Amino acid sequence: MTQNKFDPKIIGEFLNFSRNVAEAPMKVSIPHEVHIGSTQFDVVYREDKMRLLHFKPLTSKQVKTPLLIVYAIINRWHIFDIDPKKSWVKNLLEQGFDVYMIDWGTPTSLDKFLGFDDYVNNYLDNCVDFICDEADVKKISMQGYCTGGTLATVYSALHPEKIKNLIVTAPVIDGWKDTTVVSNLTKSFDVDKFVDTIGNMPPEFMYYCFSILKPFEQGVEKYLKFLNNINNEKFVDSFLKIEKWLDETPPIPGQLFKEWMKGIYQDNLLIQNKMFVGNRQVSLENLNMPIFTQVAVGDHLVSPECSMPLHYAVSSTDKTLKLYPTGHVGMIASSFSQKKVLPELGQWLKERS
Amino acid sequence: MQTDSNDPYGYYKKAAVFWTDMITMMSSKPTALSAVGPLRNLSTNMKKITAELTEANKEIVEFNNFLIEYYKQLSETWTNAQNEVTAKATEIPQNEEGTEAYKRIWIDNFENYFTGLFDSEKFSKNYNKLISKELDLMKRWNAVMDIMLKSANMPTKQEIDEIYEELHSLKKKISKLESSTKKSEKNDSE
Repeated sequence: MTQNKFDPKIIGEFLNFSRNVAEAPMKVSIPHEVHIGSTQFDVVYREDKMRLLHFKPLTSKQVKTPLLIVYAIINRWHIFDIDPKKSWVKNLLEQGFDVYMIDWGTPTSLDKFLGFDDYVNNYLDNCVDFICDEADVKKISMQGYCTGGTLATVYSALHPEKIKNLIVTAPVIDGWKDTTVVSNLTKSFDVDKFVDTIGNMPPEFMYYCFSILKPFEQGVEKYLKFLNNINNEKFVDSFLKIEKWLDETPPIPGQLFKEWMKGIYQDNLLIQNKMFVGNRQVSLENLNMPIFTQVAVGDHLVSPECSMPLHYAVSSTDKTLKLYPTGHVGMIASSFSQKKVLPELGQWLKERS
Repeated sequence: MQTDSNDPYGYYKKAAVFWTDMITMMSSKPTALSAVGPLRNLSTNMKKITAELTEANKEIVEFNNFLIEYYKQLSETWTNAQNEVTAKATEIPQNEEGTEAYKRIWIDNFENYFTGLFDSEKFSKNYNKLISKELDLMKRWNAVMDIMLKSANMPTKQEIDEIYEELHSLKKKISKLESSTKKSEKNDSE
């Protein structure tokens, strides 16, 4: 009779893991009850479902030019303030910046006809005017993240007279150069039929698209790691906050989704200066203000090849392109972003504000 | 008119519509007598709903074909990835480091195989056809709902969409007016 020999360490590891699985509900908070966001703000302007947030200053002296962060149309703005130690907003406030943030809210069926024109020439423009009035300035600095980077780019190209500095963080610009699997799905996607039948892009479908990006690392390994670390309070806290953020994505208005898919991914109009928003042609050559493009080398949501062409398409002579060895979320909500990305951004912005 | 005997779907479709029509005609007289006034439209619902469901049957068959192909692609990729993992697993020692190495190989292999699949043209094409058929089925469902809403004197999806569109356009006009008023007020004060 043969005997199977197991390394006692393997058995120990297996028993530990089983104990963690059994004890997890007692030790760990329910993900949906986790509180995210810690920096205080006032809602200073509202329009439909959109809110403009103004963060309370953390320094006695502030940089004159306010900074408006244009959040993406996927997930929520809380990733910029997910944890006090990794908060993008808090770091900028501590550097003396006057920070505003756009919260797009949760579109309903009533908002299905909202398109690029409404987002850029109405909501965004009204927010910029409001900030200019409140801060008594003629121009502001604008930062756009991910799809918010695209909105900020389009806005700055159409209203360059209102933008002093433009910062784009992992923007979606050149859809044909995007090498992610999501871009592969968009190639033969019948977006007209989709929007006509369903209306807004539902979160459930977006979850599907996210799930095909690194399905085993993000869908299996991540949770195994979590269960192996349930006694590590810091790790658990950070994990649950990110999970909650990932789980809360609002629908995208149908018209905006349609224009996005066609204009950015399928016909790639933006980078070719062929995109029209509110009957006006969007020319990236109008971007003559100082521009800072931040790209994450390990970005699996917006590939660097998709973001970088902006740097070469603008007419600005004061432009900076920085590549960081991190991922899409790591660039804005990690200890790396606190140590490297934010100090560099702060210095760049202070020199120009 | 004769139906091709080699086309079972054609036969089914014709038979379903034929008998629905016949039953509707046969019952139209007594229904007309008993259903007074606007409620008369209830009696015509069945015919319209049957026509929608009959069309939906063909789409369900097509949807299933794309769904089978979708799962086939997933399962083939799974098998290929697992085969490679199994081949590599024989070289891994059975100790703690080995377990960790096996986990790494498993995840990396599956990630590579599945990313390759999701990145392929065959996946993109089939998946989009699957979605397209699902949308066709949803359209049928919407049409059935519209028939019922109409007879209940409620607005249909199309009518609600028209209202939303009208509201959107009105909001836009108001916003433009507000902005031009604001500008002229600002100019006046300056």
